[in-house]
Amino acid sequence: MTETALPLAGLRVLDISSFIAAPAAAVVLGDWGADVIKIEGPDGDANRKIMKDSANYPKAGVNYPWEMDSRNKRSLVLDLKSPEARAALDRLLATSDIVICNFPPPVRDKLKLTYEDMKKVNPKLIYASLTGYGESGPDRDRPGFDVTAYFARSGLLEAQRYEGGPPGVPGPAQGDRATAMALVSSILMALIHRMQTGEGSWVGTSLLGNGLWSCGVIAQAALVGAFLPHRPPPDRPRTALGNIYATADDRWLQLTIVREDKLWAPLCKALDLPALIDDPRFAAIDERRRRSAELAAIFRETFATQPYEHWRAALAAHEVTFGVISRPQDIPDDVQAVHAGAVVETAIPEMPRTLANPIRLGFAEQRIAHAAPALGQHTDEILGEIGLSTEEISGLRSSGAVR
Amino acid sequence: MSPQTTPDEPLPLAGLTVLDISSFIAAPAAAAALGDFGADVIKIEPPVDGDPHRNSFRNASYPQSDRNFPWQLDGRHKRSLALDLKTDGARTILERLLKRADVMIVNFPPPARERLRLRWEDIEPINPRLVYCSLTGYGETGPDRDRPGFDITAYFGRSGILDAARYDGGPPGVSLPAQGDRATAMTLVAAILMGLRRRDQTGKGGWVGTSLYANGVWANGTTAAGALIGAQLPVRPPPDRPRNALTNLYRTKDDRWLQLLMVRDDRLWATFCGIIERPDLMADPRFTGRPERRAHAQELHDLLEPVFAGRRYADWETRLSGTGIPFGVIGRLADVIDDEQAEHAGIFADTTNPAIPRTVNTPIRLGFAAPRTAGPPPEVGQHNDEVLRETGFSEAEIDALKKSGALG
Repeated sequence: MTETALPLAGLRVLDISSFIAAPAAAVVLGDWGADVIKIEGPDGDANRKIMKDSANYPKAGVNYPWEMDSRNKRSLVLDLKSPEARAALDRLLATSDIVICNFPPPVRDKLKLTYEDMKKVNPKLIYASLTGYGESGPDRDRPGFDVTAYFARSGLLEAQRYEGGPPGVPGPAQGDRATAMALVSSILMALIHRMQTGEGSWVGTSLLGNGLWSCGVIAQAALVGAFLPHRPPPDRPRTALGNIYATADDRWLQLTIVREDKLWAPLCKALDLPALIDDPRFAAIDERRRRSAELAAIFRETFATQPYEHWRAALAAHEVTFGVISRPQDIPDDVQAVHAGAVVETAIPEMPRTLANPIRLGFAEQRIAHAAPALGQHTDEILGEIGLSTEEISGLRSSGAVR
Repeated sequence: MSPQTTPDEPLPLAGLTVLDISSFIAAPAAAAALGDFGADVIKIEPPVDGDPHRNSFRNASYPQSDRNFPWQLDGRHKRSLALDLKTDGARTILERLLKRADVMIVNFPPPARERLRLRWEDIEPINPRLVYCSLTGYGETGPDRDRPGFDITAYFGRSGILDAARYDGGPPGVSLPAQGDRATAMTLVAAILMGLRRRDQTGKGGWVGTSLYANGVWANGTTAAGALIGAQLPVRPPPDRPRNALTNLYRTKDDRWLQLLMVRDDRLWATFCGIIERPDLMADPRFTGRPERRAHAQELHDLLEPVFAGRRYADWETRLSGTGIPFGVIGRLADVIDDEQAEHAGIFADTTNPAIPRTVNTPIRLGFAAPRTAGPPPEVGQHNDEVLRETGFSEAEIDALKKSGALG
């Protein structure tokens, strides 16, 4: 039932943003058919180099984070500080539907990139703003990053501690990508509003707001004065039957037994500990809870004797519920990841597969990913499309306004 | 216009009717977000007990409170219609509701949808203009299609996030209640809005959806994209064995964690030695230059750990502020709820429910509309009569449906 027309076909998006959350939102719009023009300064988006620069990124010969955050975009290099570039930008704004901007507010003021500035050029324009900490207030101008604004400031990392342990560890760009979906939602709201009223608008979100939304349950609890205690570490769990255990091959298995009365005997059999079934120390839930550390120690020793595959099969054979803590390297071979539409093929030979955005539509399929653009690869093409002559373009080039 | 402008235009989703036939968190949270922006959300729940999420606040892994705070968050703006979907009478009601609805959100596992005739192919003939939104744990096909998926298993466990979120030699990371569910809700909202846009363009409804698994993999996308080409995430050393002792976490006397981010130690080392009252270190041959400090990172850490543990965070804040040494603190929710910046970012909102006077907004901000103020969430079946009357049932019909057991 897939049709060729994508829901965002015919829309032009100017991605005047850097790093990950905002550019990733532009990627999602491009996946669904929008024409995305990435406007970069002469040095390019710093995200082009993040794989090399950040110690926390997996290293590879292919620049996979840049490919992922720039697929299906065209690159135009404009030095937004030069007045000549401004004239070209205004012509682009006049023909665009959406602009995505994540400069800190003082830079927007200086470069005349606020909504008020752009609205004058095109009142039907949708202006999508991403900030670290919001559009006003004492920390308005602070550059916000995923790890500082989404994870640390929101209280997420503090809450993700084991009792007595250090704060949790966020994955690279984990909060940025979640935030991208809120930014996409806000842009789609504005498109509905424009369809109803004919007017453009300002929409936006912040990394801090998204961090708190994702931990909304505990944030809402905090608002009524209730706080989550830190989780006990796996060697002294509240219950040994709802705990994680390492296997002989250093994998982790998550027991998630809720119906203890039914599953106690099958669990003991799966672990090949039949003597435990009628052991008076662990006869009923109350005893097992009281002696949870003792029981967890027995389980820990047992799980450490066999590899993950053995336990997976043994627990499944006795219909004991458990969760798998997959490793990132398991994703490429997980058939279900393809069925879920998460892993898709690309048209990029050196990176044949990538991650689709999580939106699925019965009536359309996401565009296949083509190679991310080289810096300024489409400058001439785009300037030509908005009506600049070859002479004008070379004039801009020699002035340094475009590249 | 700025986001602080008082909006006077109608909410963008006003006039839309949403049937929330879903339970727990990710899918209901998407319905709540649509309600925030003006949609009329009718929650269809089993009679008597309703959505089991009404009892989540008793869950041992939730913060303990006698107030039903999670239900406030995910039940806001909704009207409750209690229907026993297994009965014929309920089917009659559902079909009439479907004819008038714009969006339907469902998260039953596929076998239950089939049994209850709630698949898109069952619904499309009733209302081809409907946007049918599906949430699953693991996708619509494949070997794990029918597994019930939860945030902790599908979004966090299966996607590799928890494995990646560990310190070298330590256990997997900890996820918070519904953390992945709520992020997934934003994807559902985007999917539904895409469906509405397409309906505006073509007059046709359609199937839209997402899965917890795909959202987890998307959030873990940088690491997963690396894995797809065989690149492996470096394991993070724990704070007591850092690669660089000057860009590391230190625990303070009052159990706060201070993030020291001294990237320019070439310029700031002397200043730092003064602040920690250890001028002797400047002459210590182990730490004279950057290569020496890197080579002796463990020794430097062992020396700094008791220094930071000797003072409270507020004291360190005073000492480090204005010195040019970048530092931060791992925030606590207890502070966030009173954080002035969170107010500016529009993160919290007042409600009209005296038991739970403040709540958490969606992260979506619109210059032309503010989210609706939340009142108390509904009791199970609170709006049965009201919704049935609106849908065109007569009093006699409503009585008959009640007697038939369709409403429990």
